[in-house]
Amino acid sequence: MASAAATAAVSGVVLPHAFLSHRSSPPQLVAVASSFRRLSLCATPRRTTHLVARADASAEAGEPEPEAEAEPVSSSADAEEGEVEGAVAVAEAEEPPPPPSKPKVKFGEIIGILNKQFIEEAEKVKTVPDLRPGDIIELRMQRPNKRRLSLFKGIIIAKHKAGVHTTIRVRRIIAGVGVEITFPVYSPRIKEITVIRHKKVRRAKLYYLKHKLPRFSTFK
Amino acid sequence: MGSHGNNLFGAVSSSVEAVTRPSHCDAISQQIRTFIQMRTNLKVVDNSGAKRVMCIQAKSGKYGAKLGDTIVGSVKEAQPRGKVKKGDVVYGVVVRAAMKKGRSDGSEVQFDDNAIVLVNNKGELIGTRVFGPVPHELRKKKHLKILALAEHIV
Repeated sequence: MASAAATAAVSGVVLPHAFLSHRSSPPQLVAVASSFRRLSLCATPRRTTHLVARADASAEAGEPEPEAEAEPVSSSADAEEGEVEGAVAVAEAEEPPPPPSKPKVKFGEIIGILNKQFIEEAEKVKTVPDLRPGDIIELRMQRPNKRRLSLFKGIIIAKHKAGVHTTIRVRRIIAGVGVEITFPVYSPRIKEITVIRHKKVRRAKLYYLKHKLPRFSTFK
Repeated sequence: MGSHGNNLFGAVSSSVEAVTRPSHCDAISQQIRTFIQMRTNLKVVDNSGAKRVMCIQAKSGKYGAKLGDTIVGSVKEAQPRGKVKKGDVVYGVVVRAAMKKGRSDGSEVQFDDNAIVLVNNKGELIGTRVFGPVPHELRKKKHLKILALAEHIV
């Protein structure tokens, strides 16, 4: 696909997926190529379903690959124009310039995008402050059949970042016994988190507090 | 490291590997707390007279007992004049466990020690007071008397 790469370089458009992805990729590159005035579509002889955007024939006189008539397979805005003889610039001016192509979503990015959407939804309901280990916080949570919100205080000893299931582990001495509760930060049950104070710590995870004196985990 | 193997309250914790003089705190901090199983020592937090109970059997659970489960135990240490004495075989409800217990809203709770409250085989409390915090998982297990007597429900 050296020629394809060359044309891509020439046209100044970098569309790696279009060339390297599966055979039946839609010709989104057509839309991008529309920014150039006189373009023609032609299929490379080896892969007829691949559509290669080429600059005008005058500019690329030395192109080795023969021009073949393009028969674009999918529903592109310029499909009808591709059916015309591929050589010279077909009247691109007739059609309104197609919208710029959407960036193709890679398969591995889907979870990241979904996480962002979930976090945005959760942020609309309540704002989550910036939480760090060492913050002494007060957290109000809705319990299933209770009317009042229950209150949890304590020091954040760990923050585990996992997109929308980001959790914080809060420690406190309750009635003489140390209790650590892990809360999912973006949960709709948690109505409010406020940072009361901050204790300077030099760690990201403060598990050592379990083994220290109870007074280090006591918060009024 | 001052505490070799002792937890905050000077009692020997159950399900903790014996650590002798660790060089770095991480050796203790990263212990995974597991179920309450045979030979686990638990603290008794009611006024029935027993102080420590060793678990003989977890009544439910393939791997052991979790928060809110019932166990069968043998009293290892008891106060002189109490309702139970040393060597008795008793049932107990686990009210605090060092192993995380997940809740349906995504949160998890764990305590610093393992503690039980003694009950008889019908499920009625032997003692009349309960000390320390208890989780509200007990509500689902129908241990409402324990919740009523508790100092604090987590």
